[in-house]
Amino acid sequence: MKNKLGKARHFKNAVGILFVVCSIAIFDVAFSARNNPPLLFPLTGRASGEFPDNWIHGSKSAMDNTDPAIQVHAYNEHTYILRENKAINYEGAFMYLFFGNGVAMLIDQGSTSSPALFPLREVVDQIIRGWEEQHNQANTELIVANSHLHGDHYAAWNQFVDRPNTVMVGLTHEEMMAFWQIENYPQQIVTYDLGGRELVVTGTPGHQGSELAIYDGWTDLLYTGDMFYRGRLYLEDWDAWVTSIRKLRTIADRYPVAHLVNNHIEMTQQPGVDYPIGTTWQPNEPPMEMTLDMLDIAVEATNDIDSPGIYIYDDFLIYNQIPWYTTTDP
Amino acid sequence: MHKNLYLLLSTVDPGVIRTSGCRFLIWALFACLFAPVTSSAHLLNMTELHLDSTHPTSTQLTIKIDLGQSLMTAEEYWNASTSNIQEQSIMIDRIADQIKSGVWLMVDDKAVDLELHSWNLEASSLEAIKNPFSPQMAQLVFDLNSTIPSEGSVEIRIGEQLEVPWPALLRMDHASSPLPISRLLTESERSSRPIAFGGNLETPEEEFSAKAVLAIQTLVPGLKWIALGFQHIIPKGFDHIVFVLGLFFLSTGAKTLIWQVSCFTLAHSLTLGLATFGLVSAPGAVVEPLIAASIICIALDNLYSESLARWRLMMVTLFGLLHGLGFASVLSGLDLPRENFLSSLLLFNIGVEIGQLTVLVMACVTVGWMRSWSQYTERVARPATISIAGIGTYWLINRIAFI
Repeated sequence: MKNKLGKARHFKNAVGILFVVCSIAIFDVAFSARNNPPLLFPLTGRASGEFPDNWIHGSKSAMDNTDPAIQVHAYNEHTYILRENKAINYEGAFMYLFFGNGVAMLIDQGSTSSPALFPLREVVDQIIRGWEEQHNQANTELIVANSHLHGDHYAAWNQFVDRPNTVMVGLTHEEMMAFWQIENYPQQIVTYDLGGRELVVTGTPGHQGSELAIYDGWTDLLYTGDMFYRGRLYLEDWDAWVTSIRKLRTIADRYPVAHLVNNHIEMTQQPGVDYPIGTTWQPNEPPMEMTLDMLDIAVEATNDIDSPGIYIYDDFLIYNQIPWYTTTDP
Repeated sequence: MHKNLYLLLSTVDPGVIRTSGCRFLIWALFACLFAPVTSSAHLLNMTELHLDSTHPTSTQLTIKIDLGQSLMTAEEYWNASTSNIQEQSIMIDRIADQIKSGVWLMVDDKAVDLELHSWNLEASSLEAIKNPFSPQMAQLVFDLNSTIPSEGSVEIRIGEQLEVPWPALLRMDHASSPLPISRLLTESERSSRPIAFGGNLETPEEEFSAKAVLAIQTLVPGLKWIALGFQHIIPKGFDHIVFVLGLFFLSTGAKTLIWQVSCFTLAHSLTLGLATFGLVSAPGAVVEPLIAASIICIALDNLYSESLARWRLMMVTLFGLLHGLGFASVLSGLDLPRENFLSSLLLFNIGVEIGQLTVLVMACVTVGWMRSWSQYTERVARPATISIAGIGTYWLINRIAFI
């Protein structure tokens, strides 16, 4: 009898324990299903993306321009490239929005301050909302950062100062470097974790003394800001630029690079011919993205150029320490 | 403004102009309808303000401004830049007065006066001044008639009556701030809003709570380590909480509980200390499943033991050693200070003990008062112990499968 009671007790205990284990397991599985798995940004392989056939490029008459103030292009599901309408500002600057787990980083804020003319915050908020819906994310923090400290890249910075859940990196050299944890500018190469997405960041002065280049290990995009793009490369410090462009080549040797992306297009599709400064209509623009061959040509140029002046290459012009308004126009 | 527009238009692709067939009409329409748009294009000559309060005895506001495109005509600016110092002084004094009446600097909500200290006029040619793409910047340095205190707030506003090339980048350097502070003033957002310096960085509520925490930390310097130890039981140490509850549900006597908790505490303090000094170590992949197994063992013993056996105390001590290794892996990530290593370790341990005692006190308050109830064992202790065994089993499977 006692043995029977003991067996019944063992059985009840075992059933009870099993019940608890199963209950926790069910709860755990249900809870895990509710929470999305983290977004993955592996460094192996390459997250591909696409550029548009044409960027908005202004119009003959600015007043008749029907393009949006900001063109939004999804390079891929977690990478957006924005372009300011040249009818609003001739700079036609590009801006970048990178997403990671729980965080987005906006690099540059265009050339126009007025939210009525250039509603950058509204557009960025729309992109973030859409991205959150698409990927079941919420409360995405926004980091407002800059490639360098020229006014045509932070004019709309103020639109974000009172935005909730936003980190404003700041518009001084010291604030920028403190954010990226660069203690030895420009030599130091640092790695920044954007919500699981690894960015390699380093100083690339020459065009401006606080400029940064950013390599995205997930897409293999190398962002070169204003120091290397299809246009007039205005260089205030030749020696610094030489070091920077060679460093970009070193980075490209160390990491696989899909495209070099940047901030402006000022060239026409005709080799060596640029649009005049201030142009608000560029119907014959080449693509924004550049190749490693073009970078090699720039690196080669650093061996040939030894004095201030304008040096013409097929895909860019080097304005070595001469005034911005100087032109190659006849 | 209009001469700037003409210059801008003259840089547009000539083909664009020719196709319109009427250059004047386009120029007029452009000038009339798109003046605000094109004016925002002149970002090369944006204004810069730098408030330098790093010197204890003086504070200066430096303004870099394209005077020839804003407060003076290009010709006036060229004349000023090529004049002798007396004539230049007369012209610049007039501009300085305009700036002083248009730039409001408030320190702790009190207006501060500016006094022109020095200036430098950059100008390579009249044509360069006229060309919006070749900004010729003037630099005016103003002294403030008072210094900025080590704690306080500063606000700079550019009044409606003063039109400067926008936007205006403001940089503030203050002795108490390791980094400068930047703000962007625009035509529609002309104020920096109050910028706090020194200890006045939070709102009054945040300031109060921060000060309270600092005051407590000053009084009890090791509070941080006690708090960290406590947090590693509540809420982070769920497996340790479950283990302690396992000890609690064995018996109805306080003496039994005190013996077990004492053995457990001494044992995990020992391995925690040894592991922190690097004398013992075990990989988490081994320790974590064993901790789960210890919970199952304690729970099963509860189900089949009526009282505290001596071997149970030995088992609890053994499990204490195991749990100490678990704490040590957490502590290694905390980077204990070298200069106060022993005291920090001791305080962390005290925090752990306070956490364990809190768990026991809460258990006593919640179900302890029912111990005299005849059905306590069947209706409270046994279901709770079965749950503890179930949780331990789940963790064991989970940790073996995923570690």
